[in-house]
Amino acid sequence: MGNIKQKDLILYSGLIILGLAAPYLFSAFKVQLTYLCVLIVLAMTWNLQGGEMGYNTFGNILFYGLGMYLTASVQVGMFFPLAEWTESGGEKTFVHTTAQYFQGIGVGLLVSAIIPAIVAGAIGYAILGLRGHYFAICTLGLGIAAGEIAGGIEIIGAGQGFTTPPFPAEIVDTEARGKFFYFLSFALLIGTFVFVKYIYGSRFKLILNAIRDNEDKAEAMGIQTMKYKITGWMCSAFFCGLAGGIMGGLIGYIDSTDVAFDGREMGVFMVLMAILGGKGTLWGPVIGATLFHFFKEGLWTLILGWQYVALGVLIVVIVIYFPEGLMGWLREKYPERFGEVIDEKDRKAQVELK
Amino acid sequence: MNKLVKLFITSISAITLALVSFSSSFAKVEGDYIVLGSAISLTGKYSSNGVHTQNGYNMAVDRINKMGGVEVQGKKYKFEIIYYDDESNPKRAAQLAERLIKQDGVHYMLGPYSSGLTKAIAPVTEKYKIPMVEANGASRSLFTKGYKYLFAVLSPANQYLEVAIDLAVEKNGGKGVKIAQAFEQDAFSQDVRLGILDAAKRTGSEIIIDDKLPKELNDMAATLAKVKATKPDVLVVSGHTKGALTAIRQISEMKVDVPMLAMTHCDAAKLSKQHGKKSEYALCASQWHKNLSYKDKFFGSGKKYAKDFQKEFGYDPPYQSAESSAALLVFKDAFERANSFDRDAVRDALVDTEMQTFYGNIKFGPGGQNVAKPMILFQVRCKGDDCENRVVAPTKWASDKFYHPIPKWSERS
Repeated sequence: MGNIKQKDLILYSGLIILGLAAPYLFSAFKVQLTYLCVLIVLAMTWNLQGGEMGYNTFGNILFYGLGMYLTASVQVGMFFPLAEWTESGGEKTFVHTTAQYFQGIGVGLLVSAIIPAIVAGAIGYAILGLRGHYFAICTLGLGIAAGEIAGGIEIIGAGQGFTTPPFPAEIVDTEARGKFFYFLSFALLIGTFVFVKYIYGSRFKLILNAIRDNEDKAEAMGIQTMKYKITGWMCSAFFCGLAGGIMGGLIGYIDSTDVAFDGREMGVFMVLMAILGGKGTLWGPVIGATLFHFFKEGLWTLILGWQYVALGVLIVVIVIYFPEGLMGWLREKYPERFGEVIDEKDRKAQVELK
Repeated sequence: MNKLVKLFITSISAITLALVSFSSSFAKVEGDYIVLGSAISLTGKYSSNGVHTQNGYNMAVDRINKMGGVEVQGKKYKFEIIYYDDESNPKRAAQLAERLIKQDGVHYMLGPYSSGLTKAIAPVTEKYKIPMVEANGASRSLFTKGYKYLFAVLSPANQYLEVAIDLAVEKNGGKGVKIAQAFEQDAFSQDVRLGILDAAKRTGSEIIIDDKLPKELNDMAATLAKVKATKPDVLVVSGHTKGALTAIRQISEMKVDVPMLAMTHCDAAKLSKQHGKKSEYALCASQWHKNLSYKDKFFGSGKKYAKDFQKEFGYDPPYQSAESSAALLVFKDAFERANSFDRDAVRDALVDTEMQTFYGNIKFGPGGQNVAKPMILFQVRCKGDDCENRVVAPTKWASDKFYHPIPKWSERS
């Protein structure tokens, strides 16, 4: 990382300072900011598959939901009998002490990163042989199936839902919970960004691109594509699981199909955000997620009842006018700013060829 | 790249400025208004019940404001409600509760529609110590979490259909019955299920079919085919409005004969209007019925409430609207007794609530649930093509006799 340009250094440190100061500057917006961090993480990790590898997955919501349930289950299960916690008729009230709460969520998040990654490896081994829309449809089924299965497992609350442990009552400051989850998600965001940026500078990314551009040729060149596809998906699952774990704690209530395996909302949003910003770019998903979140929070309540119609229109507009996303559009308009040198002779030659 | 970075930084600072100037929150009491907040399902799977809830709130706000408003420390205040659409999604509801409290500065909340959404909002209101009077979250687990700022004007969900099982056992000469049941996979219906399990154990009844139905259910033919084959004494179905409509539609299509059919949400689904004679004899659990003889000075009796509601919104009020209106009466009463806008004072006043409204008596138990009001059962009965709901249990309020068993489809005209 020694070769970061000075300009970039200013940008990054500026953004980090802004991120650290944000919960104090906009104290009332902490929860929305936390959502924003999580949305960016989801969009960036989706971009690894959809953008770089060319495998449009709807299955990442599986890891997100899995992470959510795992974190909450571990957090409760470490100290209390999980079955009694989730049983709605239970008359007993369990209360986490401050130490238990943080230990629980710490271990829970660890588990929620590792297990989804393992699951991604296993599922990936089975289905990453599928290509194109076959893969997309198959992953679409994953999220739906997971939601239905989770809705039938009594120990995690089944259809009743799972109330995650409340923030310790000993911490009197009502702002503490918001700050805690914000900084947790911000740390996750930085971690994810650094990781994805690292990938962007590595051979691994080139291999993913090769798979996207022509998998057969990549294979013919001696690349074990399956290995790389699985590794890529496991990386995404790792961060998606963490994102889910944080969201579960923040929302405080996990419902199988509406909160955890929420393919209809989160699952679609992550695709939409990446495409809006420009898939296959580092900054695209970040910008896409930010714009989308502002659009959603700002306009949603002004057009009550019509918000999903507006969302539909937005999708149509994006697909028609910005098929390559905002970054793609900018890149086409101002290629020189993206460090692309246009060889006029070559361009003319190509025009003539056409 | 340089320009791009500049543009980026400029836009970020612009947004920053906008947010900073915007984030100064409003007060909970603005001028003559007491501002309440509520996230309501205006879209999504609970949209019809969400609207019933909102209509109930609005009706009560208008009425209380017209009749002098709320008097605190000698000054008259009016109610005002800030609504957001939670899209029937718990995640969104929790986020909006946060937004109402932190950005809109709301200090008193009204509940959303459904147990699941209330479960999502309660941790938020609890965290900020915001008193919430809710009228549509009946799940028992809401009242065992030790919440201190949650108050429900309704009876808990497990009581919904227990009475129906007792009734079936009574008709069976005190012997246990065979129960077939199908419940939507959501917090409320699963709690109704727990209530039935308890009742079955208590009466020595046997559960022969125990199906789970998906959310937003549009098809339960598989369950009904089993019912046809096994001939249970009672069929219990719970799945909000869509569940009730689907059940009646398919039972009549498939001509399923069962001696007793017990459901929830018949009046919210306007079953007797939508399905007419097909819905006859269905037994429905309800929090309220207009024929009950409770009274208050704002709405008069239940019948008068129903008439006024009909005039205002053009349909007969389901109990979801009635209980929502009652929530505001509770708030008004608590504000006046607390004689203060201090949240904890209002909360303490809510704890001591003991009042009668047109909707029923209200007194909160230690968990926050209403312990003063029983559930009632009504049965859809028709005269010609005109169908209506008649109260059949408990006997104290019953206006009609319970008709049992349901005649076979071959004998129904």
